[in-house]
Amino acid sequence: MNRVEELAEQLDAAARDAREVTQIDPEGHLSLQDAYAIQRASIERRVSRGAGRIGVKMGFTSRAKMVQMGLSDVIWGRLTSDMLIEEGMATSFVRFVHPRVEPEIAFLLKKPLSGHVTAAEALAAVEAVAPALEVIDSRYRDFKFTLPEVIADNASSSGIVVGPWTDPREDFSNLGLTMSIDGRVAHVGSTAAILGHPLRSLVAAARLSDAAGEPLQAGWVVMAGGATPAEWVKPGQYVSIEMERLGGAGFHMEN
Amino acid sequence: MATFSIDIAGAAHSLREATRTGNLIAPLRETFPLITAADAYAIQRTNTEHRVREEGRRIVGCKIGLTAKAVQAQLGVDQPDFGMLFDDMGFGDGEPVSMEGLQQPKIEAEVAFVLGRDLDMEKPGHADVIQAIDHLLPALEIVGSRIADWNIRFVDTVADNASSGAYVLGSTPKKLSHVDLRLCGMVMTRRGEPVSVGAGAACLGNPLNAVVWLARTMAAVGQPLRAGHLVLSGALGPMVAVNAGDIFETRINGLGSVKAVFETEPTGRQLT
Repeated sequence: MNRVEELAEQLDAAARDAREVTQIDPEGHLSLQDAYAIQRASIERRVSRGAGRIGVKMGFTSRAKMVQMGLSDVIWGRLTSDMLIEEGMATSFVRFVHPRVEPEIAFLLKKPLSGHVTAAEALAAVEAVAPALEVIDSRYRDFKFTLPEVIADNASSSGIVVGPWTDPREDFSNLGLTMSIDGRVAHVGSTAAILGHPLRSLVAAARLSDAAGEPLQAGWVVMAGGATPAEWVKPGQYVSIEMERLGGAGFHMEN
Repeated sequence: MATFSIDIAGAAHSLREATRTGNLIAPLRETFPLITAADAYAIQRTNTEHRVREEGRRIVGCKIGLTAKAVQAQLGVDQPDFGMLFDDMGFGDGEPVSMEGLQQPKIEAEVAFVLGRDLDMEKPGHADVIQAIDHLLPALEIVGSRIADWNIRFVDTVADNASSGAYVLGSTPKKLSHVDLRLCGMVMTRRGEPVSVGAGAACLGNPLNAVVWLARTMAAVGQPLRAGHLVLSGALGPMVAVNAGDIFETRINGLGSVKAVFETEPTGRQLT
């Protein structure tokens, strides 16, 4: 087994068993290409157990975060069917290592979208937009990782909750939102925090997933990236998002 | 015998001098360790009276400060504060603002409320305030501090007219019924980059709550808000430092946009 397969197996097992691992590359020897190869191999193992591919998630989409990480591009991860948490329903804390949650906007695609597309082409491929929550749960101890490590770990993605779908033709570039824990507002933001306009995140998703040979498909969901800092979630809590005009979504984190 | 009285007039004078000369002062809480919130408001009132009587400036409304939970926590308080707005602090959309006369300026996006009726009843409530609001405008508030390094606590900012400086108003009035005040998205950009992002909920849960707090407070101190008064809500997102030559634009969903242009050379209209 080569090094990529070895690390993929390690991270896949950590995600499956909700078990933390030590950093796989603390010295930073892995290239971004290696990191994405590990992610792909790790998700392939999950898919071979029966999970379906349902879309992609974008990460480090806030300018502040990109500067903080010293990045020149966003990162992405793969969404699988076992990551879906039904809106309004519960998920179990034991599925996660140390989950955090962030508010996002989600795209539902009605057409495939690949390569270098314009914002207009990207919008033309969107069936609907929805308020959404993403559970991010780094498999690394203490949520500490390098850039290649977080990419290998599927960009920390581990769960998604999606609210009601809405026609995307009305401007969604600056929709105010709140994320609440047990009904108390924890963060306030706007979809404008996502690269200045969430559509830019979809354009990047089309480019990056095509470059990896897995172009975006009709019916896929694209999670555009966090609109506020992430918040820790404890067992027993109810997490919800409310978004201007688009409505809300929530889930229970059970023991 | 030790004296427990605060030199209100002296403190007020030192703040006015700092404004005039740009020589910033030490925190009042250090100069007057026993200073209370009531003293701080007395200092503010002294300068308000001075500005009206001696400088011929006109009060056009109030600003509300400390409306963000994070800022209240930072200053160790659980309530907002207020300061007075004067006629010469206002600028129009895109009208150049001189850096002269601003002290350590920072900028934040807010909702401006213009009242159509007096709020002079006892203890005005939400329904009174909703009825009294004539229209809303997007606004950028340029805050400033006469206290060196913005080293402020509650009493320092209250005495310093709630760290006010100037403000820029948008030009297209909107009705309250057309705006989702709680969830309206806000983005403030500089050279096309979002530098502050938020929503109405960042201001006491809803900017209207801030206006109700102000209306009650002003009624209680016998200076009720009046028809025509302008009220600046408090920030919808984090404040950002201003440098000469900067141009900031904010968009607030439902309210439109407003732009603040800061001069590089001292050619813009100055605050008196």
